[in-house]
Amino acid sequence: MDFSNIGNNIIKLMTQYWKVFLLDGLSHTLLLTLIAVFFGVALGSLVAMCKMSRFWFIRFPISVYIEVIRGTPILLQLYVFYFMIPQMLPFLRLSPFMWVAVALCINSSAYVSEVIRSGIQAVDQGQTEAARSLGLSAGQTMRKIVMPQAIKNILPALGNEFIMILKETSLASTFFVGDLMTKYLEIKGATYLGFECLIIVGCIYLCVTFPLSKLVESFERKMSGKAGAKKAGTGGAV
Amino acid sequence: MKKMIAVILSLLFVLSALSGCSGGQAGNKVLTVATSPDFAPMAFVSADENATGNDKYVGFDMLLAQYLADEMGMELEIKPMSFDACQTAVSLGAVDMAISGFSWKEDRAENYNLSDYYWAGDNEDEQILITLAGNEGKYDSLEKLSGVKVGAQIASLQQSLCQEQLTDSEIVVVTDLTTALMQLRNGDFDVLAVAGGYADAMMINNSDIIKTGFCFEVDPKYTGNVILMTKGEDELTATVNALLAKAEAAGYYDIWYAQAKSTAGIQVVYDEEGNAVETLP
Repeated sequence: MDFSNIGNNIIKLMTQYWKVFLLDGLSHTLLLTLIAVFFGVALGSLVAMCKMSRFWFIRFPISVYIEVIRGTPILLQLYVFYFMIPQMLPFLRLSPFMWVAVALCINSSAYVSEVIRSGIQAVDQGQTEAARSLGLSAGQTMRKIVMPQAIKNILPALGNEFIMILKETSLASTFFVGDLMTKYLEIKGATYLGFECLIIVGCIYLCVTFPLSKLVESFERKMSGKAGAKKAGTGGAV
Repeated sequence: MKKMIAVILSLLFVLSALSGCSGGQAGNKVLTVATSPDFAPMAFVSADENATGNDKYVGFDMLLAQYLADEMGMELEIKPMSFDACQTAVSLGAVDMAISGFSWKEDRAENYNLSDYYWAGDNEDEQILITLAGNEGKYDSLEKLSGVKVGAQIASLQQSLCQEQLTDSEIVVVTDLTTALMQLRNGDFDVLAVAGGYADAMMINNSDIIKTGFCFEVDPKYTGNVILMTKGEDELTATVNALLAKAEAAGYYDIWYAQAKSTAGIQVVYDEEGNAVETLP
């Protein structure tokens, strides 16, 4: 393989297409990620609560939902949301970008719900028992005692979820929604310089995910430090 | 909690209202066409950064799609997606048709309604083998290819040709041609089967690739491209076939192909030995 040639080609591609990669591609990727994570967290909290419900007829379907979403490839889910759901719900006229975003939201909700549930359940049972015996209601216990401790487990894990989704948006390029990987496909198709495009796109992904993961890491350390001092919570999240 | 749900729902509504604007005008019938816009000069993305909607996608197949929509009095809506997804979209009826440089294949004909052939430029005329520079003359005949590893794209015409004609070779299936190029360099296989036009375009920017000199014998039925439609859409197929015949009689194909090539900026310059050299579009 001729590496000096590859270097030249990368420079050539970057001078010609830097705007397409950085402005167009990266902004779509970030937008898709933000939508997916925001609604994923909102929906995921609901799902987590249902999963911890006292009633089996709420718990059971939600467990099925989580298992199905987590147990199937995300590419398959994208196909379902892009092709099948729009046909079943013809009155919902969403753009392809939005259908992909919906699919990613649903996917992320299942993962986030498990993050939240495990975060809550990682809080020592004794905390709840103590709070209840001191006369707090179940709701108060959750809000004032359990949640503040659970948040410390949940937030770093949500940061990791953000990074995961950011990378998973690349699969949306199957439908050319305009994210970074789509730009790779498009420019590769026009120039036949596939390897060089891949390197550029890979560097851009890394430039975004690396600082993010460092941020999450330092955040995690801070959180566990505090928790350790107070002797509450059980270790950092994954 | 109720507030949160209300906020989420209202946000969803706003988003769906925003995105709903992208749909076609109500009342006008829309012809939805799936394509994989990563294959210049047949279907690719316009270099114009400000292009939106259908204008974003250009090339021979897009000109053909526009012609079909105009003649049928419908509005065109291009749905870009990967090559595999194009076929899924058609079989599910999510789009009316797929125009993306599909060759005629037997199993395709079984599962889809295929149009008559449309001429696809010099892209499909010859099916050849390419290899790395330095292997000149090593793989130029059927005897020399015995026992050699041959790469071919999955579900492509080249794969069928390899299976039919290179019976003594070992066939390695690849998912896409760019990856295949890297695999060729890595030595996963010795030669790669591609369309002649594709090889020309690829060799412009990849100077380490050469043609072996081997050409497949191609049945004339493979040299054109077809349009994929959902199985059972016989009426649409008949309309499309009539329009294709009309376009051929009017000589539109040549005009479109020339236009598509100039849009792609393909300026193939040949050196003394007849090899394509230069340059990025």
